[in-house]
Amino acid sequence: MSSLNARLLISVSVLLLFFFGVTIVVLDTAFRSAGEQAQADILDGHLMAILAAAEATDDGGLELPPDLQEPRFGAIGSGLYAELRGDAGEPVWRSRSALGIDIPVGEQPQSGVRLFLDEVLADGTPVLTLSLAVQWELPDGNYRPFVFKVAESLESFNAQVAQFRRQLFGWFAAVALIMLLSISLLLRHLLRPLRQIENEIGEIEQGERASLSGEFPTELTGVARNMNLLIDSERGRSERYRNTLDNLAHSLKTPLAAVRSLLDQEQAGKVAGKVNEQIDRMDEIVRYQLRKPANLQAKNLVLVHVPIAPEIDRLVAGLSKVYHDKSPHIEAAVDNGMEFRGDSGDFLEVAGNLLDNACKWCEKRVRVAVGYPDDGDGQSGLLLIVEDDGPGIPANAADALLQRGTRLDESTPGHGIGLAVVKEIAESYGGQLEISRSELGGAKFCVRIPSS
Amino acid sequence: MRLLLIEDDTTLRETLAAKLADCGFAVEQAADGKEGLYFALEYPIDLAIVDLGLPEMSGLDIIRNVREQGKTYPILILTARDRWEDKVDGLEAGADDYVVKPFHVEEVTARVNALLRRTGGWASSTMTAGPVSLDMSRQELTVNDASIELTSFEYKIIEYLMVRAGQVISKTELTERLYDQDFERDSNVIEVFIGRLRKKIDPDNTIKPIETLRGRGYRFALERGPSG
Repeated sequence: MSSLNARLLISVSVLLLFFFGVTIVVLDTAFRSAGEQAQADILDGHLMAILAAAEATDDGGLELPPDLQEPRFGAIGSGLYAELRGDAGEPVWRSRSALGIDIPVGEQPQSGVRLFLDEVLADGTPVLTLSLAVQWELPDGNYRPFVFKVAESLESFNAQVAQFRRQLFGWFAAVALIMLLSISLLLRHLLRPLRQIENEIGEIEQGERASLSGEFPTELTGVARNMNLLIDSERGRSERYRNTLDNLAHSLKTPLAAVRSLLDQEQAGKVAGKVNEQIDRMDEIVRYQLRKPANLQAKNLVLVHVPIAPEIDRLVAGLSKVYHDKSPHIEAAVDNGMEFRGDSGDFLEVAGNLLDNACKWCEKRVRVAVGYPDDGDGQSGLLLIVEDDGPGIPANAADALLQRGTRLDESTPGHGIGLAVVKEIAESYGGQLEISRSELGGAKFCVRIPSS
Repeated sequence: MRLLLIEDDTTLRETLAAKLADCGFAVEQAADGKEGLYFALEYPIDLAIVDLGLPEMSGLDIIRNVREQGKTYPILILTARDRWEDKVDGLEAGADDYVVKPFHVEEVTARVNALLRRTGGWASSTMTAGPVSLDMSRQELTVNDASIELTSFEYKIIEYLMVRAGQVISKTELTERLYDQDFERDSNVIEVFIGRLRKKIDPDNTIKPIETLRGRGYRFALERGPSG
C-alpha cells in the first residue's frame, strides 16, 4: 500500500464495516424480539377471546359461535387460524379461516401452560402457534380436557422484518458512503501540502523552479527546508566540480603551453618531437575528462531549460568570425521556442563541436537543423542534424571515429576528441550520435536525445 | 606592426613574444589584466593577444572594455578553457579568434597573420596586387613571381602598407607601429626605407607601388587582385 490516501481509506472502511455490522446485528435482534413479543401478545389475546367465546354443549363438547369477534377467523386463508381438539387429539372445532388448512398437531402442552411454537404449515407457510390445554367444566359437573390452538402466519411479520433490514442496510450503507466520501475529501485537503511538495519537486526536475516555495504547514517546513538545502548543495557541488576541473585544466595547460613554446624554438633538438607528442597526449586526456559530462548523483536537480535558437545563433555568429576567411554559408533551421532540457552548457558543447567540425571540412555550405521528431511512443525527443558539403566520412572510418574516446589513451592525438565528447554527452542523456552522408555531399551528424 | 601580448605566465609570454618578434612584429608585453588594459587602450596597437585567465582583471573584461572604447583592432584569445561556452563568450565579448592551450607557437603566428590580413580586407594568406605578391606566412615578397630580397625592416614597412592597401598611412603611424618601444624615433629613416623599397620592387619605375601624399603619408596604390 503505497498511498497514504489508500491506506487511510482502507483502514477506515474496515472499522466502519465492523462497527456498522455490530450495530446492525444488535438493532436487528432488538427489532425482531420486540416484534415477536408483540406477535405473541396478540396471539394470546386471540386465544383468550376464543376461550371466552367457547361454550359447553349438552353432549359434553364445546362450541363456538360462527362469527367470532375477530373477523379474520371468519375469512378463508386470512392467516389467522384457530382450532380446538379433545384430549385424544380429535378435532372438536376449527375456525372458518382454517378451511382446507392443516394445522399441525405438534407438541402437546402441559395443562394450564401456554406453549408458543414456531411451526410450518403443510404448504410451507411459517406460523407461530400458541397452544393451551384446559380442563373445561362441563354442565354435568365433570371436567374434560381440551387443547385450544391458535396459529398466525409469520409471512407478514417476516416481510416486516425484511423491510426493516432493508431499510437498516440502506441507511447504514448511505451513511458509510457519506463518511468515506467526506474522509477522502478531508484527506485531499490534509494531503494537499504533500502533493504540492511532490509537484514542486517535479517542477524542479523539469527545470521550471529553482527551489521549494516554503509555504507549507509547520509539520512539513523542516522537510522542505532540508530539501532546499540538498538542492542547493547539489547545485553548488556541480558548480564546484566544474570550477575545480576548469581551474585544474587552466593551471595545467598554461605550463604545458609554455613547455611547448620552449620546444618550438629551433635549438630544442630532436627530443622536442617526442616531448611534444606527450604534451598532446596529456592535453587530450585533460580536454576529454574536462568536457565529459559531469557524473552527478542528483542530476535531475541541476537540469535547466536551454532555449536552442539563441544558442545556435551565438555559435553561428562566433564561428563566422573564426572562419572569416572561408566564410562558409551556414543555414540554420531552428524554430523559436525550442528547448533543450539538461545541464547548462551541454547543448552548446554538442552543437559547437559539430558545427566547428562542419565549418572546418565544408567547401562552402553548412546546414544545421533542430527538430522534435516523434520517437514512437508519443513522446518527442530532440534531433540535432549538422551537415556539410565537404569530403564526408567513409562508413568504416565513421565507426573508428566513434570508437575513439572510449579508448582515449590508444588514440592518435588531434582527431575526434570533439566527436567523442559529443557522443559521450549524447549517451549521458540516453541518446546517440550517428554519422552518415549528407545530401549536400559531405558528412551528416545526427544527435538524437530522447525525452526523459 | 605592433602587437600587444597579455599573458601572466612569464615563460610562455617571453617565448611567444620572442617568436612574434622573429616574425617581424613589434611586441608589447603585459603580465596582468590591469596593465594589459592600459596598454590596450593607450598604445597604438594593431592586434592584441589576450589570455582569458589573468590576475587583476579577466581577459573577457579587457576585451569588453577595449570594444566599448571603440577600438576595432583584431583580438586573439589564448584560453585553457575550451568549453564552447567560454569560447562563445569570448567571441561575443569582441574577440575575433581563439587558440586553445597548449598551442604550437606557429598556430598563434598563423592566426595573427590571418587576423591582420583580415583588417585590410584580404581573404587569402597571400596578398596579391597587380604584379606584387606578399606571403605573410613565409614573409616573402614577389614581383612578377620573382622573389625580392628585403631586410626585416623593409619587410615590415611593405607588409604594413600592403595590408592596408588603399589607406593613407602617416609617417608617425609607421614609426609607432614598426619600431620597438625603446627605439629612437626618426621619421627621416622611414623616408630612406621607402626609397629603398621602391628601388627594390620597381627598379624601372613602371609599377609605382607606393604613392607619396605630401604632408599626409604613404599609400600602397596598386589595385588588389587578381586573386586577392
